[in-house]
Amino acid sequence: MKQSLLILFFFTIASSISQTTVIGRVIDTKNNPIEGANVYLEGTYDGSMTDENGMFSFITDESGTQILKVSFISYETFLISKDVSEFNNLQIKLRDDVNALDTVVISAGTFSAGDNSKISVLKPLDVVTTASALGDFVGALQTLPGTTTVAEDGRLFVRGGEAEETQIFIDGIRVFTPYVPTTRNTPTRGRYSPFLFDGITFSTGGYSAEFGQALSSILLLNTIEEPDQEKTDIGIMSIGAVLGHTEKWDSSSLSVNGSFISLAPYIALFPDRNDWIEPFQGGSGEAVFRKKFDSGMLKLYSAFEMSSFELIQEDIDFSEGIHYKLNNKNLYFNGSYKGMLSHDWTVFGGLSYTYNKSKVELIEDDIKDSENSYHAKFKLKHHFNSRFKLNFGAEYFATNFNEDYNNSFINDLSYGFKNNITAAFSEADIFFSKNIALKAGLRLEYSELFDELTLSPRLSLAYKTSAKSQVSLAYGNFYQNPNNNILKFEQNLNAQNTTHYILNYQLNNDGQIFRAEAYYKNYNDLIKYDTEYASFASNYNNSGSAYVTGIDLFWRDNKSIKNLDYWVSYSFLDSEREYQNYPIQATPNFVNTHNLSVVTKYWIENWKSQVGMSYSFASGRTYTNPNETGFLNQKTKSYNSMSLNWAYLISQQKILYLSVNNVLGIKNINGYQYADVPDSNGNYARRTLRPAADQLFFVGFFWTISEKGTDNQLDNL
Amino acid sequence: MNYLKLFITCVVVLITTNLQAQSNYEKGMEKAFDLWETNPIEASQLFERIAAAEPDNWLPSYYAAETLILDGFTKLSDKSVLEAQLKQAQIFLNDATAISKDNPEIMVMQALLHTVYVASDGATYGITLSGKIMALYTQAEKLAPNNPRVVLNKADWEIGGARYFGQDTQPFCKDVERALELFTTFKSEIKFYPSWGKERAEEILKDCK
Repeated sequence: MKQSLLILFFFTIASSISQTTVIGRVIDTKNNPIEGANVYLEGTYDGSMTDENGMFSFITDESGTQILKVSFISYETFLISKDVSEFNNLQIKLRDDVNALDTVVISAGTFSAGDNSKISVLKPLDVVTTASALGDFVGALQTLPGTTTVAEDGRLFVRGGEAEETQIFIDGIRVFTPYVPTTRNTPTRGRYSPFLFDGITFSTGGYSAEFGQALSSILLLNTIEEPDQEKTDIGIMSIGAVLGHTEKWDSSSLSVNGSFISLAPYIALFPDRNDWIEPFQGGSGEAVFRKKFDSGMLKLYSAFEMSSFELIQEDIDFSEGIHYKLNNKNLYFNGSYKGMLSHDWTVFGGLSYTYNKSKVELIEDDIKDSENSYHAKFKLKHHFNSRFKLNFGAEYFATNFNEDYNNSFINDLSYGFKNNITAAFSEADIFFSKNIALKAGLRLEYSELFDELTLSPRLSLAYKTSAKSQVSLAYGNFYQNPNNNILKFEQNLNAQNTTHYILNYQLNNDGQIFRAEAYYKNYNDLIKYDTEYASFASNYNNSGSAYVTGIDLFWRDNKSIKNLDYWVSYSFLDSEREYQNYPIQATPNFVNTHNLSVVTKYWIENWKSQVGMSYSFASGRTYTNPNETGFLNQKTKSYNSMSLNWAYLISQQKILYLSVNNVLGIKNINGYQYADVPDSNGNYARRTLRPAADQLFFVGFFWTISEKGTDNQLDNL
Repeated sequence: MNYLKLFITCVVVLITTNLQAQSNYEKGMEKAFDLWETNPIEASQLFERIAAAEPDNWLPSYYAAETLILDGFTKLSDKSVLEAQLKQAQIFLNDATAISKDNPEIMVMQALLHTVYVASDGATYGITLSGKIMALYTQAEKLAPNNPRVVLNKADWEIGGARYFGQDTQPFCKDVERALELFTTFKSEIKFYPSWGKERAEEILKDCK
């Protein structure tokens, strides 16, 4: 008897071995069954998959308290701890995972270029393969809606704003002098090589509280985190040469890039409208160092550039022309660290330094200016959970600008200013569900120069209207101090400000994107002065104002026609301003009412070639004709340009690139220059302002040499 | 005496159940391999369960990813399903890498995951991922120059590139031949260590000739 009891006892232990059947049903928040969910007891192999009714059932040998886990793609993982015997007729409701691919994205005002982001309208390589862009990231962005065509300038003019209302950031840190200096009538380019960046976010309004001192737009460039392999890149172009090398170690890598540009041979072959004494010539070097730590990443970026040119430019008031000579030196350094402090805290810290020195000789005048600028930023991010994140931080901008002015009448006049700004920001990201998201932020800025405190609220809301479409709204208040050309003469002013209201609709089909955006902007406290040019003699105040309203449309499709990828952008813009020396409110000369841009890329398999075309149309811009009454009283004829390019892949490592800008040779007009004084008939003579060259040709050969000769130029196509 | 006998019996019973528990891993893995033939998604889920129970073993996560990746090649046109599936596979591969760093088998699997993206949409992913794929194979080759799967998959990828540019595929075909030899000599002490690829090598060689 005793014996049998003991046996029974041991067997009970051995087979805790009593089996339990776990049964239940998995549903979503709308009570629909979820098929294919993985249901199991954590730490055991016991489990099963739900059927089409969401039902599951499996047998387990486990006993006591166990954790039942339910996981399925695009839902939050569900955990429940109970005694096994109670896992019976369970009803489990899974919540949507807001990190899933089909979650709503706050997209009002923002265009981003990335690989996998579904709101990406551009791929990083579009920068290099857009016919009209000539490898300049700014040129590629000018094919997006919201930008206006100011062909003689080349900078980004966004939604009726001046070029300096757009700020450019590398890895979240400000770039103070992003453009290469040029002469009048020759468009500038971005200083930095597009190959160093793998993410571009271009926001045409309503952006995050993290960014300030930009009235119209921000452009965020992110450097490549980890290069794929060690390689050497060689490029020989009709306008110069580039050489790059990437070296990789265990947890770090270094990329260096050098380029030399000389326009002299090109101008000798294809003379333009300028009378060059010394055509543009420049050299630049860039280096990026990245180091990965266990829970963070350090990036150091620096760029040095020197450029010079000298020419005589035609002018209506000087029959012998205007002599202009420029020497520019620019140094930029940017360092940033991003890392995890714990699993729900992220830290970011960064610093940039810009040194820019220009020496200009203009007719009789000698102007030397130097700028030293810093930007430091510190930011923390806390993930309370996947539905609520908080971002907050502080930053400091310092600019020290000095100018020396010298001519035969004035001896060594020296002036300048210090423009230092402290800012703090905080922003919350809230996902109410997969379909509704809110971003709300606040930015506080203190300007030491003006002893002025400003507060800007930012708000955006996105709502998913169907599986493929969504609507977003954005509102924001933005402040920016006047630019160097004003501050160097007058510092007793205030910040200029604007308010944005944006309504956005986006439809993402597989391989197709449609966006429509309507906006209204209201500017206040713009700088006004009472002379023809800003100078010491002018009286300045903050009484200017402006409005901008418009509609931007964008369509991209790479699916309908095989091997053809194309996009179409259209912008309607209506704006009037009263600022600077405007006597009345008028449409400024950098505003086109209609802007249309079409970009196509066609891959010809048999030729291993990509053929690209871009066409841009812009309606005429205003100018003042002093022979008639009124201010900005006339418009130029509209602007048209079509560019073609051809990229031929010779082998995996070699690519040949040809492009022609304005292939039809259309004679575009940027504006008119009128004489300062009328002739004997009382008529003001005028000169047509044309681009320095109607057409541009470019030929380049690029060769990548990687360790085993196996890497390829496909990367660059 | 009787008690002793009884005690031994009981100990034996306990040990056997215990032994049974130890071989649960093997049983589970074998069951998952069986399931793979009929239902790869369900197999992946079983591998996922095993991975959760075996936090120090990279193989269950590796196979949880492999089932999804290979199944991905059959779903190339169903973009949204494919993307979700590959995203899940990437999570499993990250788990496997966290357990076993510098593992050439995981690198090959990562390269294959990228290859599914390229196969599904060459225009979008070919440009950005082809460099990454080649870099993974190069790195894996440095670590394990005689691993047949490293040699085979690298050659497979290179043959694709050479065909595209109308170049000679022979040097890579030689690599495939070498891989085929390596399949017969390559041995691992670890149970369930990856052993796939021989059929693929034979298939490629047919095309080479």
